[in-house]
Amino acid sequence: MTVDLPALEQTAAPRAAPARWSRFARPALGLLVPVVCALGWELVVYLGYSNGRLVPPPSKVFQTIVELAKSGELSRHILATLWRVGAGFALGVIAGTIMGAISGYWDFAKRLLDPTVQALRAIPSLAWVPLFVLWLGIFETSKVALIAVGVFFPIYLGVMGAILSVDRKIVEVGRVFRLSGPAMIRRILLPAVLPAYVVALRVGLGLGWMFVVAAELIGASEGLGYLLLDGQQLGKPAQILAAIVIFAILGKLTDWLIEVAAAPLLRWQDAFGARGGQ
Amino acid sequence: MLALKDVGKTYPNGVHALERFSAEIAPGEIIAIIGGSGCGKSTLLRAIAGLDRASTGSVTLDNAVITSPHAKIGIIFQEPRLLPWLSVADNIGFGLADLPADARGERVASALARVGLTDKASAWPRELSGGQAQRVAIARALVPQPEVLLLDEPFSALDAFTRRDLQDHLLDLWADTRPTLILVTHDVDEAVVLADRVLVMRPRPGRLFEEITINLARPRDRKSGLFDSFKRRVLTALDRSLDRSVRDVTDKSSAGEAMWW
Repeated sequence: MTVDLPALEQTAAPRAAPARWSRFARPALGLLVPVVCALGWELVVYLGYSNGRLVPPPSKVFQTIVELAKSGELSRHILATLWRVGAGFALGVIAGTIMGAISGYWDFAKRLLDPTVQALRAIPSLAWVPLFVLWLGIFETSKVALIAVGVFFPIYLGVMGAILSVDRKIVEVGRVFRLSGPAMIRRILLPAVLPAYVVALRVGLGLGWMFVVAAELIGASEGLGYLLLDGQQLGKPAQILAAIVIFAILGKLTDWLIEVAAAPLLRWQDAFGARGGQ
Repeated sequence: MLALKDVGKTYPNGVHALERFSAEIAPGEIIAIIGGSGCGKSTLLRAIAGLDRASTGSVTLDNAVITSPHAKIGIIFQEPRLLPWLSVADNIGFGLADLPADARGERVASALARVGLTDKASAWPRELSGGQAQRVAIARALVPQPEVLLLDEPFSALDAFTRRDLQDHLLDLWADTRPTLILVTHDVDEAVVLADRVLVMRPRPGRLFEEITINLARPRDRKSGLFDSFKRRVLTALDRSLDRSVRDVTDKSSAGEAMWW
């Protein structure tokens, strides 16, 4: 035993160290390139090699963000944009989930509806803008509708595809245990579809952020997209970059929220990856 | 009593898979159905399970006609078919949703202990080996205490050692409640070690060719001469069912090849 113990410790110690190292170092490694670029540009402007007027240094962008935040404008713009994305995303998810579920579950509905939906999908969504403005006015409704259209298609396709690809053999297990229709949906179909659904939600949210910019560039008096346009028209590149940085942060943050919310439901799926590292 | 009367199946695409299959199977009996591919074994099993409806004839269990899955009939497939989002324990308890949680927990715990997987109760299915997963599938099918348990080539995807272990284990579990077992297999060895009766089927269209009663006491010694002679009888019947010469049979048994494809 006295011989065994040190040997065990020896093998355990180097294994634990790389694990701890990689937990912090891996995300840090990803930050290396942007941080070096930002510091490099800061230095270039500081040393006077560039005036930094068209490409403002990070400090200037940060300063702009702080100024906007102090005046209370930033939160107004962020809230306006968040509201539009939230409302459009919610509508798109609800419509896409219901339509996708019907088409995936019921073959007749798929043959009836899917060709139309696919044809509509082929239209570049921005082509709807003039029509939406005519129909729904220039204010919030048309913006939310545009975002909802953008979100709808990936959700619809994701849900329908996920239901269609549920393993027939697993469904048969449900039949053997004589599950009723609702029980089959709750105990077999929903959990089987969930991983693909989470992916569809994340793709849909990404498109929602894309379309909110398009919607706000069309005509808005507030919102991050308005900050972009305002910065262009008044020649304030720092304000444009500030808005872009905030878009990036918000996009990543909301995507992360979906990931975190879904993680406990998908533990069965990545259990393999999590334990594989041991 | 499970009664199969003139059970036949023609698929919508015109394939005549099974023709007029009749048999009476007593409670607690172990039946092995063996035959070449395309002889309707799986079709027959699915008709008994109520997963597919027979085109002709009827399946009755204690006077109840089986047309859809029945509470007293369980089935184990070639693949474990565990639900990947449920833990091992929840998979075993899947068919007990009607029971209150504590009663279900008790039944699941004793089933887990019975198949020797208590330490895997909270594991995910993908963390199991093939043999462990199939044991979970057996436990899941047995835990609602079916009167008839159908097995569709349940061990064919496993290696030879695991397969033998599980064959013995299945007999152990069978002895607990003595359900009727109906086993579809390709494996002559498996049929002879498990079954009271071996039903040899012939293909195109699938029908019963010969019935061989294995009156050997359990546990059966796979190495005994008597065991071998039963194996030879089944192999001979199989070859005659395909109009093969008997010479092939002696070749196979001398090569010690128990698998029959």
